[in-house]
Amino acid sequence: MTGGARSKVLAFRERDELSNAELVDPTDDSPALGRDPFEDLALPEPFEEHLELFEQRRAFRREAPAPRWVEPPTPGAQRPLPPRARTRRWAATPPLGEIDLPETRDLVDRMLGDHERRVLLSLSQLVEGDAPYDHYGFSPEVLKLAFPLFYALHRFYFRVASQGHENIPTEGPAILCANHGGLLPFDGAMGVMDVMLKTDPPRLTRSIVDKWAGTLPWVNVFFSRVGQVIGTRENVADLLADGQLLLCFPEGMDGIRKPYTQRYKLQNFRVGFVEQALRARAPIVPMAVVGSDDQAPLLYDIKPLARRLGLPVAPITPTFPWLGPLGLLPYPVRYRIAYGKALHFHARFGPDDAEDGRVVRYLANQVRRSVQHLVDELRA
Amino acid sequence: MRILITHADEPLGRRIAKTLYHDEAVEAIFAVGAGPPPRSFDRYLGSDESRLQYARVDLARHRSARDFFHSERFAKAEIESVIHVPRHGAAAGAAAPIAAGLPERTAETRLVLQNCLETPSIRNLIALGSAFVYRLPPGNANRLSEESELDLDPDVPGEIRSWIDCDMIFHGEVHNDRLRVVLLRLPTVVAEGGYVYLNPLLEGRPGLRFRALGFDPICALVSDKDVARAVQAAAHSRRPGIYNISGCEAVPLSVLSRWTGRAALPLPGLLLGLSGRLSRLVGTQSLAGGVSLPQLLYGFTLETSRAEHELGFRPSYQIGLARAGDGALRLETAPSSIG
Repeated sequence: MTGGARSKVLAFRERDELSNAELVDPTDDSPALGRDPFEDLALPEPFEEHLELFEQRRAFRREAPAPRWVEPPTPGAQRPLPPRARTRRWAATPPLGEIDLPETRDLVDRMLGDHERRVLLSLSQLVEGDAPYDHYGFSPEVLKLAFPLFYALHRFYFRVASQGHENIPTEGPAILCANHGGLLPFDGAMGVMDVMLKTDPPRLTRSIVDKWAGTLPWVNVFFSRVGQVIGTRENVADLLADGQLLLCFPEGMDGIRKPYTQRYKLQNFRVGFVEQALRARAPIVPMAVVGSDDQAPLLYDIKPLARRLGLPVAPITPTFPWLGPLGLLPYPVRYRIAYGKALHFHARFGPDDAEDGRVVRYLANQVRRSVQHLVDELRA
Repeated sequence: MRILITHADEPLGRRIAKTLYHDEAVEAIFAVGAGPPPRSFDRYLGSDESRLQYARVDLARHRSARDFFHSERFAKAEIESVIHVPRHGAAAGAAAPIAAGLPERTAETRLVLQNCLETPSIRNLIALGSAFVYRLPPGNANRLSEESELDLDPDVPGEIRSWIDCDMIFHGEVHNDRLRVVLLRLPTVVAEGGYVYLNPLLEGRPGLRFRALGFDPICALVSDKDVARAVQAAAHSRRPGIYNISGCEAVPLSVLSRWTGRAALPLPGLLLGLSGRLSRLVGTQSLAGGVSLPQLLYGFTLETSRAEHELGFRPSYQIGLARAGDGALRLETAPSSIG
C-alpha cells in the first residue's frame, strides 16, 4: 500500500470517531456524483486479508463443492406444483409505451397529463384480481387518489429537480439509500414520486419506514396503501426476494432530529440495509436529497418532553409551536435529488459476509461517504 | 396410508376428510368428532366396505380419549397417521369450555399427542395451528416467517393463549425420532358462502364486531380447500417441522368483514379497551371479539416458501366475491386461472 493510500485509510478509520463536519476528505477533489468508493480508495489491511480469505473460500467452493446430504424423494415432492396464482409478481410493470390510455376520464385523470396517467395505469397492474391489495397492503386505487396531491407537491410546491436516473436499475432488487431530513418525511414522498415519474417502466419504490409510524392511527393505513413498508428484517428480505426497489434512510430518526446547524451532515448509518443487500445480492444506489433539511429548520429538540410523550422529537422551529399544527407544514423550498452509481458490494462480498459485523459496518460507512459526497456536490 | 382425522364433524375436518377420501394413496380414513356424523358424509359412509368410518369421541376427556386409543377397533385399524384438527373456537358469546382445568383445545391437544406417542403404529402426526400465535410488530402489514417470535405475553386473551399452548406442545415434539410431527400454521381460513375460521375477530355467527378506529390491519387469507391440500401434501411428505400455509390474497379487516357479512364498527382505542375489560368481567367474548389489541391494530401475511420447498405446497385457489344464483355477491373460492 502506498503512503498516500495508507494515510487515506487511516483518515478513513479515524473518521468514525470524528465529527460529521469532518466526514468529507478535504484533499479528495475527485467528482462525487456517481462515484464508486472501491474505484479509488485502497481498502484497509484487515479487509484486504478478508478479501483474500473470501477469494480462497470462493475458489475452494468452485473446485470442490461441499458434500450435501440429499433428502430422498418423497411422494409429495414428486407431485408437480400447481401453476402460480399471481404470486411474487409485484415488482414488474409494463413499459409506458405499451399502455393504451382509455377514453373515459374521471376527476383524477382530468387533473393529470398523459404521462402521469400512463404511470398510474402501469402501476395499477402490479396488483390484480378481486382483492386489490398486495401482501403489504398496497392498493393502486388509493395510490391513484393520493397521486394528484403528491404530484402537485413534487412539481409546484417543492419544484423537484433530479439527475442520475440512469443509475436506478430498471428491474431486479435494489436499495436506494438516502439522507434524511425535515420533521415530516416529505423527502421520502418526493423520492418515491421522482422515481415513479422518471423511470420507464415505472418502478414503485417501497420506502422503509420506522416502526413508530406503524403505531399511528390512519397514518399506518395510508403508508401501507401507498406502498410503504415497516422496516423489519422479514419485510425487507421478502421485498428484495421479490425483486422490488426499496428506499431506506439509514440515519433513521437521528436524521430528522438533527439541529439546523448540522443540516446535510449525515448522522451514523444503521447497517441492516447492507446485510440485506448482501444476502439478496442487491445493488445499493446512493441518493442525495437537498432541500429536506431546509423545509422545517429544527432550532431545538426538547428531548425530555419527547420522551414523556413517546415521540421521536419535540421540535421548536421558526413556526412551530407558534402557529400550532400549521407550523409543521414544510416551507416551499426547492428540492434537488441526485442518484449516484450503484454500488455492487455483492460482486466482492458474499451473503455469508452479512454476518461479519466489521465488513458490514465498513460497507455502511462507504455508502454514507458516497451519499455525503453526493449531497455536497448538489449543494456546491 | 391409514389416517385418523380428529374433529371431522367440524367444517375444516370435513373438508380434509373429503379431500383425502379421493386420494388413491389413502387406504382408509377413520374420522372422529364430538358430534354426530355430518350429513355430507352420508354418501361415503353408506356401505360396509367404505374407506371412511366415523366414530363419536370426545378427545378432550381423558377417559374417553384413552378408551378410544386403546380400543380393539383402533388397534385393528393400524392407524399410521393422525391429522389433528383442533376445535376452531367457541360460539360467539359463550365462555371457552374448560376440560381438566385447561381450555378444551389445549387439553385435547395434550391428550392426542400423548396417545400418539404411546401408540406404536402411529408414525405421523399432522396438526393444524393458528398463525395468530405470532407476536405482531407495529404496522398495517408485516411479513412473518416460521422463525418469527411467538406472542408469549401473559396478557393475551384465552382464545389466542390456547392456540399458543397447542403450538408449543407440538413444537416440543418436532424433533421426535419416532413420531414425525408437522404443524401447519394457518391464517384466516375462508370457505364458500362467507364462512370464516381461525380468525378470532370474525369467527362465529354474523353480527356486530368492533375494530380499532384508525387501524385496518391486513388479513392473510387461505381457502379451506387449500388447507386440505396442504394437509395432503404434509401427509405425503417425510419431513417434520413447522410450516406457514397461506393463500395469495390479503385484504384489510374492514373488507374481509364486509365480504363475510359481519359489520365491523370502528371504536377509539380507549372504548375498545373498556369493552375488552367489560367482556372479561362478564365472561363473554362477544363484546370485543375476544381479541387483544395488537390483533386489532396490526396485520400480517405469511412467508410460505418453506412449505413450498419442503412440502411441495403452493396455493391454487382464489378467494373473491362472486354473484350467486339469487344475484347477491358472496365470498367464493375457485381454482386459480391465472398462471
